[in-house]
Amino acid sequence: MVALGLLAAGVALRPLEAPAWAVIRAGQPALRLESLKDALGQGVTVGLLGGFRAIVADLFWIRTNSIWEGNDLPGTQTSIKLVTAIDPRPLYFWLNGSRMIAYDMPNWRIDKAGGYDAVPEAVKRRFDEEQSAVAIRYLDNALEFHPNDPLLILEIANVHLNRLKDVETAARFYLQASRLPDAPFYAARIHAELLRKLGRNAEAYAFLKQLHPGLPAEDIGAQSDVVLGRIRELEDELSIPEAARFQPGSASRAAPTAP
Amino acid sequence: MSQPVAAISIQGLTKDFSVTLRGVKLRAVDALNLEVAEGQVYGLLGPNGSGKSTTIKIILGLLDATVGDVRVFGVPANRVEARRNVGYLPEAPYFYRYLSGRELVKFYARVCGVSGSRLRTRVDEVIDWVGLSGAADRRVGTYSKGMLQRIGLAQALVHDPKLIVLDEPTAGVDPVGSAEMCELILKLKQQGKTVLITSHLLAQIEDVCDRVAILDRGKLIVEGSVLELVGQRDRQALIVDPLPEADLEALRGWLAARGHSLNAVEQPRARLDQLFLSKVSRPGRPGGASAGVGSNEVPLDAKP
Amino acid sequence: MSVASVPFSFSRLSLIAGNTFLEAVRQKLFNFLLLLAVGLVASAQFFREFNFGSSELKFISDFGFGALIFFGSALTIATTAQLFFSEIENRTALTLLAKPLWRAEFVFGKFLGVFAVIGVFCALTIGLMMALLWHREGQLMNIRPEDFANGRLIAYGDLLVVGVLQWLKFGVLAAIVLLIASFSNTNLFTVVTGFFVLVICHLQYLARDAWGNVDNAVLGLVVRALGFIFPNFQLFNLADQIGQGSGLSPVVALQVAGYAVAYIGVIGGLAVYSFRNREI
Repeated sequence: MVALGLLAAGVALRPLEAPAWAVIRAGQPALRLESLKDALGQGVTVGLLGGFRAIVADLFWIRTNSIWEGNDLPGTQTSIKLVTAIDPRPLYFWLNGSRMIAYDMPNWRIDKAGGYDAVPEAVKRRFDEEQSAVAIRYLDNALEFHPNDPLLILEIANVHLNRLKDVETAARFYLQASRLPDAPFYAARIHAELLRKLGRNAEAYAFLKQLHPGLPAEDIGAQSDVVLGRIRELEDELSIPEAARFQPGSASRAAPTAP
Repeated sequence: MSQPVAAISIQGLTKDFSVTLRGVKLRAVDALNLEVAEGQVYGLLGPNGSGKSTTIKIILGLLDATVGDVRVFGVPANRVEARRNVGYLPEAPYFYRYLSGRELVKFYARVCGVSGSRLRTRVDEVIDWVGLSGAADRRVGTYSKGMLQRIGLAQALVHDPKLIVLDEPTAGVDPVGSAEMCELILKLKQQGKTVLITSHLLAQIEDVCDRVAILDRGKLIVEGSVLELVGQRDRQALIVDPLPEADLEALRGWLAARGHSLNAVEQPRARLDQLFLSKVSRPGRPGGASAGVGSNEVPLDAKP
Repeated sequence: MSVASVPFSFSRLSLIAGNTFLEAVRQKLFNFLLLLAVGLVASAQFFREFNFGSSELKFISDFGFGALIFFGSALTIATTAQLFFSEIENRTALTLLAKPLWRAEFVFGKFLGVFAVIGVFCALTIGLMMALLWHREGQLMNIRPEDFANGRLIAYGDLLVVGVLQWLKFGVLAAIVLLIASFSNTNLFTVVTGFFVLVICHLQYLARDAWGNVDNAVLGLVVRALGFIFPNFQLFNLADQIGQGSGLSPVVALQVAGYAVAYIGVIGGLAVYSFRNREI
C-alpha cells in the first residue's frame, strides 16, 4: 500500500519535477551516469558529497600528485580521472591532468622501456602518440562539462603541436580557440605563425590583416604592435607593393575569419 | 426510564496478533464479556500474558479488536471521541524528562483542550491533589518512581475524566508509594469516578476494588465483587484481650452448648506493609485527608 | 449514543510540534551536530590553501553547503528516528494517544517539530556561511577592486533560496524517516534504512537513465518503478546553479519547492496510514 502510494505520487509529481530537473541537469553535466562510473568504483558517492565535492576533489588531487611523483602511470591516470569525476568544475584539474598524461607519461614509459638511448625512435613516437590520444580524449571529455572553453581547445592544440608535431591540426585548433569569446589574444597569433610555418604566408597575411583592427591598443596582451610587425614581415616576404600595404585603422574592426 | 450506560462495556472481545510473517496468530484475548458500572473501582487481574494489557489498550483505542464490541460510556472505543472521558496511567511511565512536573501536566491538559484560566487552576489543583506541589517545578527527570506515578496520575486526571485506567499503578513502587496510590484511588472513588486497575499485587487490589475479574490466557475465569469472592461467610473472627486457659475452656463450652465450635485460637498480626508504613516517615502525603487505608494508625487485621 | 465529534486540531498538532522541538534542541545530538557544522563552515577559510580550482568565494559557499547537506541529512535522520522512538519506548506515546488526539495530529506534530529543528540548523549554518562570504568578499573587493567593477559578485538571495530548498529536502527526508519509523520496531533499523533511502533518493536519477538500456522487460519495469517510487533528491542540488548564467530561476525554485511540499504531504499521509495500524 505504501509502495503503491509512493509510486502514484511519483507519477503524479513527474510533470512538476521534469521541467525543473531538465534545467538543473543541463547545468550539471556531472550528473551523468558515465561520468560517475570512476567515482563510484572508488566508493565515492558524488550525490552525497554535495558541496564537499570541492574539498574532496582537492584532497584527491594532492594524492594524485604524490602518485605522480612515483611515476606510477596507471595510478596517476586513474587518480586524475577520479578527481574530475568528483568535481569536474575547476579547469585546473583538466588542464594539469592532461599535461601529466601527454607530457610526463611518455617519458615514464621510455624510462621503463630502457631509457632514451635504448628505446628506438619509432617506439618513442608510438608512446607520444598513444599518450597524446589519451590526453585529447580526456580534454574532449572536459569540453562536455565546459563547452567551448577556449583554454581547453588551446590545450588540445598544444598537444597536437608539441607532442604530435602535427602543425596543421594544431593550427586548426588555435583558430577554433581564437574565435571563442574570452579567448586569449595569443591563440590567433599562434595560428598565424603556424600558417607561416606551413608555408601558407598569404593565408597568414590575410588573417593578420583581419585580426589587427580588432585588437585593443590599450591591452598589453593584445600586442597589436607585434601583430603589425608580423604583417610587415609578411608583406616583405610576399613582396606586397607599398601602395597595397596594410594601413592600420583603414579596415573595418571585424573579427577575423578563417582564410 | 433508560438504563444507565456502563462506563466500560465489552462484548465478545477477541484479539489475535500475528506472530510470524506466515500469518500464525496468537490469541491474546478470547471472547471476553465484561461490564464496568459507573462509579466502581474495578480490578482486572491475571498473570503475565493473560490479556490484561491488551484489553486495556483496546479500551483506550490504542489497539483495534479483531472481533467484538468495546464501548466507553456507550461510544465505540476506537473512536477519538471515546477518549474524551478517559484518563490513563501506563505501567512505569517515564514522560518527558526535561519538562518540570507542572509543565508536563500543563502540556497534557492543553492536549485535552483545557485552556484559559481553567488551565492554570486545574493544573495546580491536580498537582496539589497528588501531593507534588513541593516538587512541581523540578524536572521530571529527577523524580523518584513513586513521584513519577503520581505525576502520571495528575496528567491522567487533569481533564477531569469520568473513567481512569491505571495499568499496574504500584509496580516498582515502594510500600509508601503504593499506599499513597491506594489512598488516591479511594479518593477518586469518593469523587464518583470509575477506576479500572490492573495489578498482580493482589493484596492491594483487594483493599481498594469493588469488583474484580481474573483473566487467564485471554479468557475470563472469575468475575464478581471482592466480598463475594474472598469473604468466608460461614466463618467469623472475634478479637479479644488475651484469655487465660480456664476462660478459653469456658468459652469453648459456652459455644458447644449453642451448637458452635471454636476452630482456631491465634495471635493476631499486623501486615508487614502496615507495620512498615507506621514506622517510616511519609512527607507530603497526597489527596488531602486520610481515606482510611494506609493511615499512620495500624489497624490490626485478624487472621483466623 | 450520539457524542460530539473531536475535529482535527491544529492547536493540538502545534502542541506536539512544540514539545518535539523542545525535546530535540535539548538533546546532545542536535547541539553536537550543529556545533560541528558551524565549526566546519567557519573553518572553510582555513582550507583555502588546499583549493586548486574554484574561486575562493565559490569554495566557501561549496563548503558551507557541504556541511549543511552532510550534517543536515545526519541530523534529520537521527533526530526524527530518535524523537519518534523515545515516545514509544518511554510510553509517552501511550499517554498521548490515550487522550482525545488523532494519530494524524501526533505524526504531523512530530514532523513539524523535527522540521522546525532542522530549520534552526539550516538558518544558523546558512546565516554563518553568508556572513563569512560577505566578510571575505568585502576584503577581496579592497584587494582586487578590478574583479568587482560591477559591485558584489555573490547572489545572496540565491544562496538563501537554495538554503530554503535544502530545508524542504530535509523535510521530505524527515517524512520518509517517519514513514519508516511508523512500521519499524527499532530505532537502529529506522536510522540505517533512512540512510539507505537517502542514498537511493540521491541516485534514483541513474535508474531513470538506465531503464532505457535494460534489455530484460521485467527488470526494465522494476528499474523504472524505482525511478517513480523514490523522490529525486538531486533536484535540490541547486547550489551549483548559483553563479551560472542568469542565476537561479524563480520558476525552477518554485517547482522544486512545490515538489518538496507535495512529497511531504503524501509521505506524511502514508506515515499516518501506516501508524494507524501500528500496535503501540
